[in-house]
Amino acid sequence: MKKLASILTATLALGISTTATAGTLEDVKKRGTLSCGVSTGLAGFSQKDEKGQWSGMDVDVCRAVAAAVLGDASKVSYKPLTAKERFTALQSGEVDVLSRNTTWTHTRDTSLGLNFAGVNYYDGQGFMVSKKIGVKSALELNGAAVCIQAGTTTELNLADYFRANDMEYTAVTFDTSDQTRAGFESGRCDVLTSDQSQLYAIRIGLKNPSDAVVLPEVISKEPLGPVVRQGDDAWFNIVKWSLAALIEAEYLGVTSANAEQMAKSGSPEQQRLLGTTGDSGEKMGLSKDWAKNIVMQVGNYGEIFERNVGMSSPLQIARGLNAQWNKGGILYSNPIR
Amino acid sequence: MSSSSHHTTRVFEPKPSQPAPVTAAGPIAWLRNNLFAGPLNSITTLVIVAFFLWAIPPLLDWLLWSADFSGTTQQDCTSSGACWVFIQAWSQQLFYGSFPDTEIWRINLTLVLLALVLSSPYWLPHHLRNRLDLALLVIFPFVAIAILDGRILGLEYVSTDFWGGFSLNLLLASASIILGMPLGFLWALGRRSNMPMARSISVILIEFFRGVPVLALFFMGSVMLPLFFPEGTNVDKLLRVWIVLTLFMAGYMAEVYRGGFQAIPNGQYEASAALGLSYWQTTLLVILPQVIKVSMPNILATSIMLFKNTTFLLIIGIFEVLSTAQTALTNSNWLGGYATEAYLFVGVVYWICCFGMSRVAANIEKKLDTSHQS
Amino acid sequence: MSAVKRPEGSKSAPAFYNNPNVRAVFYQLLLVATLGYLVFLIIANTLANMEARGIKTGFDFLTTTAGFDILMSLIPYDATDTYLRTFFVGLLNTILVSAVGIVLATMVGFIMGVAHFSKNWLVTRLAVAYVETFRNIPLLLQIFFWYFAVLAALPSARNSMSLGEAVFLNVRGLYLPAPVEEAGATVFYIAVAVAIAAIIWLHRYAKKRQDDEGVQLPVWRLSLGILIALPALASVIGGAPFSFEYPELRGFNFRGGITVIPELMALALALTVYTGAFIAEAVRAGIQAVPHGQTEAARSIGLKESKIMKLIIVPQAMRVIVPLLNSEYQSLVKNSTLATAIGYPDLFTVFVGTSLNQTGQAIEIVFMTLAVYFAVNMTISLCMNLFNRRVSLVERK
Repeated sequence: MKKLASILTATLALGISTTATAGTLEDVKKRGTLSCGVSTGLAGFSQKDEKGQWSGMDVDVCRAVAAAVLGDASKVSYKPLTAKERFTALQSGEVDVLSRNTTWTHTRDTSLGLNFAGVNYYDGQGFMVSKKIGVKSALELNGAAVCIQAGTTTELNLADYFRANDMEYTAVTFDTSDQTRAGFESGRCDVLTSDQSQLYAIRIGLKNPSDAVVLPEVISKEPLGPVVRQGDDAWFNIVKWSLAALIEAEYLGVTSANAEQMAKSGSPEQQRLLGTTGDSGEKMGLSKDWAKNIVMQVGNYGEIFERNVGMSSPLQIARGLNAQWNKGGILYSNPIR
Repeated sequence: MSSSSHHTTRVFEPKPSQPAPVTAAGPIAWLRNNLFAGPLNSITTLVIVAFFLWAIPPLLDWLLWSADFSGTTQQDCTSSGACWVFIQAWSQQLFYGSFPDTEIWRINLTLVLLALVLSSPYWLPHHLRNRLDLALLVIFPFVAIAILDGRILGLEYVSTDFWGGFSLNLLLASASIILGMPLGFLWALGRRSNMPMARSISVILIEFFRGVPVLALFFMGSVMLPLFFPEGTNVDKLLRVWIVLTLFMAGYMAEVYRGGFQAIPNGQYEASAALGLSYWQTTLLVILPQVIKVSMPNILATSIMLFKNTTFLLIIGIFEVLSTAQTALTNSNWLGGYATEAYLFVGVVYWICCFGMSRVAANIEKKLDTSHQS
Repeated sequence: MSAVKRPEGSKSAPAFYNNPNVRAVFYQLLLVATLGYLVFLIIANTLANMEARGIKTGFDFLTTTAGFDILMSLIPYDATDTYLRTFFVGLLNTILVSAVGIVLATMVGFIMGVAHFSKNWLVTRLAVAYVETFRNIPLLLQIFFWYFAVLAALPSARNSMSLGEAVFLNVRGLYLPAPVEEAGATVFYIAVAVAIAAIIWLHRYAKKRQDDEGVQLPVWRLSLGILIALPALASVIGGAPFSFEYPELRGFNFRGGITVIPELMALALALTVYTGAFIAEAVRAGIQAVPHGQTEAARSIGLKESKIMKLIIVPQAMRVIVPLLNSEYQSLVKNSTLATAIGYPDLFTVFVGTSLNQTGQAIEIVFMTLAVYFAVNMTISLCMNLFNRRVSLVERK
C-alpha cells in the first residue's frame, strides 16, 4: 500500500518542476531543452502544421536561442500561451523565453518585471477594407464597423486613432484571426484592423483576396520581440545576442549554406561571428561556435523572414522596415566583437 | 385433453378473420392516426415534410456529392462542396495531438486500458469484482500519466506540450471524473456530518465549485494558480487544469450524491448500527453502493457535461480537439476558411460519444427502475 | 451518527479518546488546522510572488481610464470612462443575455417537452431529435455554429431584409424603430398602470367567483382586452404617446433606432437552444412522473383534451420541473461566459478579458467576477425556491 502511494505521488510529481535559482542558463543546460512560450496559432509567426511541427518567425527565435545554448535548434519545448497568460508564464518560470509577438511597450518593460531582448519584427497596426466600399484612406472611415482581433494594444490604438481624428466607429471584437477573417468576410464589419503582418495573412485567407485592399495608414508602432525575466542578466544577454547574431549574419552575408566555408575563409568580421576567432561565446558561458550553430541550423534573419513571411511564403510580405539598415530598413545589429 | 375422447364433437370453427380495414391497421391507418389526425395535425406534418425537402438536398450536395475527399493539400480542394481533405490531413493532430508518430501506441494503449477499466464489472470474475473495481478505477489516471509521460516506465519522455487532440479530451475528462467522484463523496459526507466545521467547509467548497462558471475556474487555473505555489515551482498547465476539473466535478458530484443519500431509508443506518458496524463500515459497505446505484443516471449526466466542458479549454490555449481545429484554421497553408468542416467534424465526434453515453445512462435508469409505473 | 449510549453499570468508563464527542472535536481541529495552514501557505506564496514580480494590488485600477471601446452598452459608455464602468457595462450585458436566454429557453423547452407527447408522430420524433442533438453537442460549438454559419449568412447592410422600411435584418444585426416619448406619454403610462391594476383585481374576482360558484370567467381574454383598450383610449384622448425613430442607412451603417447586435442574437440563440433541450427533457420527465390515472380521471369527468394538459398535468408536473429548472437557469448564466468566444461584451469578455489584459490585476478581477456570478446564481436560486414553494402548495397535505 505504501509503495502504491509513493508511485501515485511520483506520477503527480512528474507535472511539477522546480527551477533552481542558479540561473536560467544552467537550468536550460541541465534540462537539455529550452522552454519557449509561443502563440497558440498565428500565421507566419508561430504555427503548428499537420505533423505537429512548429514554424514561424517567433518560433525561429526560440530555435536560435536553443542552437546557441544547447547546440541543437530542435531542443525546444514549445509552450503555446494565450495573450492573457503569457506574462504569468514567464514570471513564474514556466518558460525561459517568451517569443510570442509581444509589443515592446514602456509599461510592460518597466512594471511587469520583464526585459525585452530586442525586436525580431517591426510591425504596425493597419486597416483592410473591401474594395467595394471604395475607401482610399483610413480618414474616410467615420461611422464604420471595425473588426478587431482581441489583443492588448490593438483595441487601444484603434480607440486613440478614431478619437484623435474625431470619428465614430463600432468595435467588433474577435478571439482569433480566423474568426476575425470570417467576420470581415461575412460583412459584419466594413474594416478589419490588426497588425499589418496579420492583415496579409488574413487577406490571403479570404475566398477572393483581390476584393480587399490594405489601406496605406499605419496607426501605431508595434515592435515585436522576445522577452525574458528581469534579474538574470546573463540569460538576458544570451537571448539579446542570439537575436543580434541572426541580424548580423544577414548583414555580413553569412547564410546557412555558406557558414561552414565562411568560418574558414571569410572576412575577419565573418570569422569573428562564426567563432573561428575571438571569444564571444565564452564571455556568455556558451560554446565558441554558438553563432555558427544558429546560422547553420536556423539560418540568418533574411532566410528566416523569407521562409516564414516573405515572398516564398504564402503571406508574401515585403521586407519594408524589416530590411537591413543599409537596404532601407531599420534592422541594425550592434557589432559582435 | 380431447385426444383420448372417442366420439366426435362438433367444434366451433371460427371463420378466418378478415384483414382489418385499411383505415384501422396497416401503413395507411398508421399515417392517418399519426400524421394526419386532424387539420392542424396535417398542416404540421406537411410543413415539416416541406422543410426537409427544402433543406436536405443542398445539404447532402455540400456534404457528399460535390465534396472533396482525396488529396493532401489545400490545392486538392477544388469543388464547391465541403473540403474533407482538410480533416483528413489534420486527423492525426485532431485525435492524438502532436504526440510523436512512433509513440502513438501509448495513447492507444491508454484508451484501451480505459475501456477495460470501465467495462471491468462485466468481465472481472465475481469474487474479484468488489475488491478490484474501485482500485482499478482510481489507479487508472496515474497509470495513464505514467504511460503517456514515459519517464517512470523508462520509455521515451513525451512532455505535455505534445499531448492534445480528442484523446486529451477523453483522458482528461475521465481522469477528472474518476478522481472527482470519490472526492465529491467525501464532500457530500462532510455536508451530512454532525461536525459543524466539517459541514461548513464542505458546503463552502461545494457551493463555490457549483456556483462559479467553469470558464472562470479555468482562468484561475491558468492565470492565478501559478501565483499560489512557492517561487521557482512550476506546476504543469495540464496538471493545473486537471486539478481544477477534478474539483469542479467533485462539487457537482457532491450534489448528485446528496440526492442519492436522501433516497436511502433510515432503516439502513439503524440496521447497520444494530449489526455493530462502524461509521466507515456503514458508509462504505452499506450506504455507498446504494447511493451510487440510485444516482447512477445523474452521475452519467454530470460526466457528459464535464466531457463537453473540456472544449472550453480552447479559451486558455490547451490543444484539445476544438483548439487544434482552430490552430489548423490559422495555419498559413490552410487559410481557406474550412471552419464549417472543422466544427462539424468535432460536433459529430462529440455527438457520437455523448449520445452513446446518454443511451447507457437511459438503459441503467430503466434497469434500476423497479417501481411500479404504468 | 449520534453517539451510542453505553448501558448503565458498565465497569470502567471508556478511555476519553474513544469518546465520539472528543474525537469529533479533535478531527475538526485537525481539519481546520490543515486547511488554515494551506490557506496561509497560499496567501504567503501569492504575496511573495506578487512582490517579486512587481504586480500591483488593490482596487485603485477601478478608477483609472479604461481606454478601449465596448461594442454594446446599456448605459452610456465611451473609451474615456473608468474600469469600474466597464464592470457595470459587462454586468448589465450579462444580465441581459441571461434574462433573454432564460425566458426563451423556458418557452422552447416547454413547447418541445410537451411536443414529446404529441399525437403527431413526426412532431414526437422531431422533439426527440431536437433534445438528443442539441444536448449532446458542446455549447461552444453551437455558439460557433450560430454565429459563423447561420448569422454570418445574412445579407449585407445594403441588401438588408426589411419589414415595411421599419425593421431591418442584416449581417450587422437587427434594427428596430426606437420609441420617442411625445406629449401623450404621461396619460398613456397612467392608462397602462390602471389597466394592470384592473387585471389584478379581475383575477382575484374571477378566482373568488370560481371558488364560490364554480363559474369560470374568460379571464385571459378579458385581461387582454383591458390591456389593449385602456391605453388605446388614452392615446385617443391624450394624443399619440410615442413617435418612432426609424433606422436609416447612412454612410456605412444603419443609424438610429434600436440595434440588436448579432453577437447577442447568436449567444441568446445558442443558449436558448442548448438549455431548451435540457428544459424539454425536464418537462418530459415531469409530465411522465404524473400518473396516467390522472389523465384518465380527467377524461372521465369530461374535461377537454386541451384542458387536461393545462389544468391537470402541467400543475402537477411543475413539482418535478421547478427544481430542475433552477439548476438549468443557473447553468445558463454560467454558460453565458462563453460570450468571450464570439466577442459579445458580457462581464467575462469585458472584465476578465480586456480589463484583465490591460491591468494585469488577475486576483482582484477574477474574484470580483466570481462574486458576481455567485450572487446572480444565488438570486436565481432564491427566486426559484420561492416559486417552488408556491407550486408545491398545490399538493394536498
